[in-house]
Amino acid sequence: MDTPVPSLYIHVPFCSHKCEYCAFYSELLKPEQVQRFVESLCGELKQLGPALQPRTIFFGGGTPSILSLHQWETILDCMHGMGWGQIPEWTVECNPATVSKEKAQLLKQGGVNRISMGVQSMDAHLLERLGRIHSREQVFRSFEILRGAGFENINLDLMFGIPGQDLKIWHDTLDTIHALNSEHLSAYEVIYEDDTPLFHQMKAGAFDVDEDLIESMYESLIDRSTAAGYHQYEVANFARNQTSQSPYDVPHWACQHNIHYWRAGDYHAAGPSSTEYVQGVRRQHVSNTSLYCDGVQSGGRGIVSEETLIPPVQQGEWAAFAMRMNQGLDFKLFEERFGHHPTQLWGEQMQSIQSRGLAVVEKDHFRPTPLGMRFADAVGSEFVYLQD
Amino acid sequence: MDPDLIRNFSIIAHIDHGKTTLSDRLLNLTGTISDRDMEAQLLDSMDLEKERGITIKAHPVTMYYNAKDGKRYELNLIDTPGHVDFAYEVSRSMSACEGALLIIDAAQGVEAQTVANLHLAMKQNLTIIPVINKIDLPHADLEQALVQLEDILAIPREEAIPASAKNGIGIEEILEAIVQRVPPPKPTGAPSTQALLFDSYYDTYRGVVTHVRVFNGALKAGSPVKLLHSGKNVEVKEVGSFNPKPYKRDELTAGETGYFTANIKSPLDIKVGDTLTDAKHPSPPLPGFQEIHPMVYSGIYPINTADYEHLKANLAKLQLNDAAFVYQQETSVALGFGFRCGFLGLLHLEIIQERLRREFEMDIIATYPSVVYQVTMTDGKVEEIDNPAHLPATNHIETIEEPMVKSFIICPNDYIGDMMALVAEKRGLLVHTETLDGSRVMLTCRIPLGEILIDFHDRIKSLTRGYGSMDYEHDGYEASDMVKLDMLVNGESVDAFSCIVHRSKAESRGRSLAAKLGEVIPRQQFQVAIQAAIGGKIVARETVRALRKDVTAKCYGGDITRKRKLLEKQKEGKKRMKSVGSVNIPQEAFVQVLKS
Ligand SMILES: Nc1nc2c(ncn2[C@@H]2O[C@H](COP(=O)(O)OP(=O)(O)O)[C@@H](O)[C@H]2O)c(=O)[nH]1
Ligand code: SF4
Ligand SMILES: [Mg+2]
Repeated sequence: MDTPVPSLYIHVPFCSHKCEYCAFYSELLKPEQVQRFVESLCGELKQLGPALQPRTIFFGGGTPSILSLHQWETILDCMHGMGWGQIPEWTVECNPATVSKEKAQLLKQGGVNRISMGVQSMDAHLLERLGRIHSREQVFRSFEILRGAGFENINLDLMFGIPGQDLKIWHDTLDTIHALNSEHLSAYEVIYEDDTPLFHQMKAGAFDVDEDLIESMYESLIDRSTAAGYHQYEVANFARNQTSQSPYDVPHWACQHNIHYWRAGDYHAAGPSSTEYVQGVRRQHVSNTSLYCDGVQSGGRGIVSEETLIPPVQQGEWAAFAMRMNQGLDFKLFEERFGHHPTQLWGEQMQSIQSRGLAVVEKDHFRPTPLGMRFADAVGSEFVYLQD
Repeated sequence: MDPDLIRNFSIIAHIDHGKTTLSDRLLNLTGTISDRDMEAQLLDSMDLEKERGITIKAHPVTMYYNAKDGKRYELNLIDTPGHVDFAYEVSRSMSACEGALLIIDAAQGVEAQTVANLHLAMKQNLTIIPVINKIDLPHADLEQALVQLEDILAIPREEAIPASAKNGIGIEEILEAIVQRVPPPKPTGAPSTQALLFDSYYDTYRGVVTHVRVFNGALKAGSPVKLLHSGKNVEVKEVGSFNPKPYKRDELTAGETGYFTANIKSPLDIKVGDTLTDAKHPSPPLPGFQEIHPMVYSGIYPINTADYEHLKANLAKLQLNDAAFVYQQETSVALGFGFRCGFLGLLHLEIIQERLRREFEMDIIATYPSVVYQVTMTDGKVEEIDNPAHLPATNHIETIEEPMVKSFIICPNDYIGDMMALVAEKRGLLVHTETLDGSRVMLTCRIPLGEILIDFHDRIKSLTRGYGSMDYEHDGYEASDMVKLDMLVNGESVDAFSCIVHRSKAESRGRSLAAKLGEVIPRQQFQVAIQAAIGGKIVARETVRALRKDVTAKCYGGDITRKRKLLEKQKEGKKRMKSVGSVNIPQEAFVQVLKS
């Protein structure tokens, strides 16, 4: 029997309103559809059960917190039924507008121990610009509710580079969020995904993208978050540390689930559009809720594509993603997994990267410098494998 | 054939005045081609020619005409390239004729090309038969055209034949005029065969096919002949004429025009203007031979370095039918392996580049075109420089001379001011102004060839809303204050962007090149300085600010494949970049800067 897969991602494909920048797969909420999805999801989880022994679970979306108390009960029951009550890290994504005291308590009691809340901005005008459904006040209120329900591990998501956002607004958001003292922060630059309203507005010239400003925002994100006691452990992720920790360690409150992704760990996924990676094979679910439900109800999982990564691709991917983390490329872990030392494969590239001041070769690691973390794409592209 | 019954003539006209249509009419009326076979625009064969309305290569065509005097004449129509880039070829083709039809569009009147081509024809002492074409057009102004004929071209109006090539009006009169006015060919009095080679092309079955006009004696299969200027002895394999398809004949006699083949491997062995004579009893060469020298050079490089061999093969193919096009291997620090190519002029350059892109589907970069400078060194030696990279150091240079042209610009009166300003901007001198009629003038000016290479013609067209026309002829060399402008990227010169320019323009050109480079060179992890330098002196500077980050954040489970593909694309893209110093410059940046 194969070793059980230690991670699980679940995609909840519903939102009450589509955000301007969003390219995630989600649909507007329709009650009958949601009910059918919940049943199908439980069906898929039962199929996956035997192969899983989850140490991390992540509910993403969409907006998982949009599900009703009753629907959450169904899902939690199903998971408990498989023995998944005590999971070291179990995260659910929440929208500040859909967090209620009852829901928070239900999740907490059900075993969820980490919340990731999509704040994006604390500026009322920008929240509207992005098409977010929540307000600045709701962020404070929801955060309090979550703390009140006993959540000790909360992540807040932020965005920068939003059209109309200037440094002052960004600094205000950062300062306000830092003051909340969450355990974890993620901050993303706005990405103009094809076919999103924001992308079309940009193409139509509704606003200019000021790269210089965005670079300054990224710099102040790092400076201010560090000053506020956060520790950058990945290009977009910050977490609080414990005082005894070395700065090179993964901070105490880092997201284990994501780290698992970045270290090319095996994980299963359930729900429409979600992707899993198990033993070198990446599979994707259909990005359509009805088709997904049909798939599960006819005994399948609604998988539509499957890609087997050949070893050089796996190795390149591993290294490229490792170099996005402060820990860098761990020689021992790599060698255990692939049977080669990274310097054998990429000696020249590593020399060149080092000579450009982007990373340093240490005894056990190839570790990015702070500069290297900012040029993770340039560094990563040296490792990926080009097939012809 | 009795030389008295032979007439050799060509047709000269400004673009679109009706040369091709009239040629087709003549072929049709003489029964050379039947109505059924008549394909419009028969003589222009290449697509590019049809599109641009110019003739680059055309066969001489032989037709037979039963004239009103009851005799049957052999008429040879020797088409000429329609552009001064090919002036030498035009003049060689003309020297195979005794007469020329000069076509003037009745609605447009005399245009610049009419003047330039007429000058060439008069230098060859050809009998000119003016034809005022398109009289069927509602806005045709025959009277105005006749006035211009007399005033500008100094040709008596009585000589003109009103015609409509389209509707078949005046065609018979034209044929009669050819018979009556164009003198029959006269033997030269030399002791043996003399034939002028005026063009050649490569035919997969026959090999090199050479167009000849026999002046003296005869040419037939089996004759041992000598090419006087290239010094080659060959045996004639086949002779014939075109109708317009090639057909074999027993012999070509004095006065006749056609082709011959021999065991000649490459068209490069055929020099346009060479004289072919009897190998055993050679006659002296016919007058007027010149070696053809390219006037304009440009580097051509494959965008994808792997295409180098492919490009080389295609250049060789082009050269098979165009001996005036020369190329030679060269390397550029920035662009890698490529070819230095020589052209007769700008149109020639554009045609070759376009054929490479279109017919051969090649992705190429062409460097900024350069004319050929005559550089006199301090030790008295003279060097011809066509590549800025080869310009000697300033302290070794005594003088630099640049090629000049005499340019004719015809435009409506309203635009005289604009034209004069343009000529001044191009460092030209207005030599002469002539009124054409109540509404148009002709400006004759002397301008450096290097200045009209890039956008002169387009600027005239746009300034005059399409009503202006321009043509030119080469006009010697003149000493000029030329300097080499270098573009430096982080202190390293990028050879592909270097150019030789007049001192008065170096700074502004440097500034605009620097600005353009500043736009197209992507930001790097460090600051990039772009400088324009004359000698060691920096005249313009732009900075591409350092990038402070490249990561587009966010990357979770579902994004990994996509992110990896992005990184792969980035890596792929880097392979297509040229590295100058440590600065990565994408190929597209070269293309964008060099094409503007
Ligand atoms: N109305 C009219 N149009 C003509 C006449 N002769 C030629 N054209 C048209 O003028 C254009 C240019 O003719 P073409 O023979 O290609 O000119 P070329 O550039 O001198 O070879 C074509 O559209 C012809 O159909 C004519 O006598 N009358
Ligand atoms: S809430 Fe999240 S998933 Fe839903 S539309 Fe907004 S960004 Fe997309
Ligand atoms: Mg034509």
